[in-house]
Amino acid sequence: MVIVKRVAFAALLAAVSIFGTSCGGAKERLYLYNWTYYIPEDVIKDFTKETGIQVIVDSYSSNEEMYNKLVAGGSGYDIVVPSGDYVSIMIAEGLLKGVELSRVPNFKNIDPKALSRIGFDPGNRYSVPFMMGAAGVSVNTTRASGYEQSWSIFEKPEFKGRMTMLDDMREVLGGALKYLGYSVNETDPARLEEARQVVERWKPNLVKFDAEAFARGFAAGEFWVVQGYAENVYLEYDEKRRAEIDFFFPREGMPMYLDSFCILSGAKNVDAAYKFIDFMLRPDIAARVSDYLMLPSPNVPARALMTVKPNYEFEDLDKGEFKEDLGLETLKLYNEVWRRIRVGN
Amino acid sequence: MKRGPGGLYAAPSVVWLTVFFIAPLLIIVLYSFMTPGARGGVELKPTLDAYRAIANPVFARVTFNTILVALGSTMITLLIALPCGYYMARSSKQTLLLLLVIIPFWTNFLIRIYAWIAILGNEGFLNDLLRALGLAQDSIRFLYNRWAVMLVLVYTYLPYAILPLFSTIDKFDFSLLEAARDLGATKLGAINKVLLPNIRGGILTAFLFTFIPIFGAYAVPLLVGGTESYMLGNLIADELTKSRNWPLASAISLVITLVTTIGVMLLLRANGTNVLGGGGGKEESEGKAGKLDALAGAAVVGTAAVVGAAAPAGGGR
Repeated sequence: MVIVKRVAFAALLAAVSIFGTSCGGAKERLYLYNWTYYIPEDVIKDFTKETGIQVIVDSYSSNEEMYNKLVAGGSGYDIVVPSGDYVSIMIAEGLLKGVELSRVPNFKNIDPKALSRIGFDPGNRYSVPFMMGAAGVSVNTTRASGYEQSWSIFEKPEFKGRMTMLDDMREVLGGALKYLGYSVNETDPARLEEARQVVERWKPNLVKFDAEAFARGFAAGEFWVVQGYAENVYLEYDEKRRAEIDFFFPREGMPMYLDSFCILSGAKNVDAAYKFIDFMLRPDIAARVSDYLMLPSPNVPARALMTVKPNYEFEDLDKGEFKEDLGLETLKLYNEVWRRIRVGN
Repeated sequence: MKRGPGGLYAAPSVVWLTVFFIAPLLIIVLYSFMTPGARGGVELKPTLDAYRAIANPVFARVTFNTILVALGSTMITLLIALPCGYYMARSSKQTLLLLLVIIPFWTNFLIRIYAWIAILGNEGFLNDLLRALGLAQDSIRFLYNRWAVMLVLVYTYLPYAILPLFSTIDKFDFSLLEAARDLGATKLGAINKVLLPNIRGGILTAFLFTFIPIFGAYAVPLLVGGTESYMLGNLIADELTKSRNWPLASAISLVITLVTTIGVMLLLRANGTNVLGGGGGKEESEGKAGKLDALAGAAVVGTAAVVGAAAPAGGGR
């Protein structure tokens, strides 16, 4: 598979480069490898209009997909947008070039509160924060009442058969760890075992672990309490009835992500990459991205420029904790614990 | 025997099989003996770790669950398909009935699953109807359990069972049933002693065509299953895309492939002696063709499970 992928990729690049030379190589280019639907197309078009740099975008839907493609020999990209845990993994693997913050003047716009909590790349020597957020809990208040904004909601038998959690071990175990007062990046096997027991208590009340169809079920009234990303939940819900949703981050805290721009060590268009990153951090542009995603911006001056009310406020993320890379041994342990939960009795 | 250019005609299918079936299968075999890469992929260090990991009782539980669901839904499918096939063979509107069996294939498989979700959901059509009739107060939870998985699996694979049964029963000489009745057999006895033994091949094909894909089911338990409907297909997918243990995923699918292949061979052998004992030349050659089909089918399961698993992954962070 790896070989096939590599060949296909080489062929693709060859095709791209032939195409590139045939239509005049004078134009500057930038190869961006980004999450799907993360940056609105007109923002990219405006960047090209302002700088003349043509952006070629390729997209991925998970960090793992991006990482595996790069490790399998995918090259030719200049910028990737990994989440925190993958930033540290990619630093360790030597995949990232490092960023000179002096070349990103708009870096000053990023909320220092966000920067101070970054454990995966302290001092931002390799990454420039783009967007952050977290999965929370959505409750259909027309159906469910008498709960606290806590992870304990999943223990309530009166919602049995009406609740789902994400099919994602870091999110579910992270929630249980926070509920117990531990870190979402806990490495102690005994504490992880405690967290497993918490999830086993939740499990009988859950319809399923689902990261694909839960938002649709929630919108249809099938599920009353779901764990998931606000953007997924709100997207499916009837706009007029959105006030019915109580979206909250459990008071004990929750796992949180921060996606950052990184320049790859093999990048060929470094100047263009810096221009792009700085452009994305400009308040008006950051505001447009946040409006599009309906997420709060880590970019302080951008917040005043937003025209859409985000699904939650930046301050709501205060109780969150960034997901860090667990290291291979602990990752194995998490996998084992998660497998036991999934396979169950 | 004279050797003409006949062998050349087989070249396209040989190339096809090599590229899309044998080569992937070999990769799975190779990967299953390697060390898992740090974050997916494999390292070229040979080890038996993956096979040791299969000894974990967790896997036995999933396997048991999968066999239960697969056998149960296959049996139900066959019980429904048999009378359908029989009725179609005897009907004067065969073309229309055949068309009706095939029509569901015009709609994408996933869309049909979502249709079932719309029907069976707590707020779905069926519950609405029951509430309107006053038969249910709140709502009955039809979805997200093992029964829902079996129902949708039966629905999905029913045509695969009906078609081979129909084609076998269609070739059956129905005057034999009359003869049996003349010789004093009851209606049921005639079917039991004359019809069923004669369409054995069709039943076997129908069984294999349903059991094998159901055994590797992935999307159905994922979408309509609950927390307890975890099947081997889901396990392979999760090992591949979430736990990132490619050798383990390969080893599991390889073991499934081997077990199914051996099972199929035993079944065919048991059936084969019977066909020979019955002494029908035509049936014998059909049996052989069926045997090849079935073997290929069996071996495809594991491969399909692995390849299919990779596609719908993603969405999470």
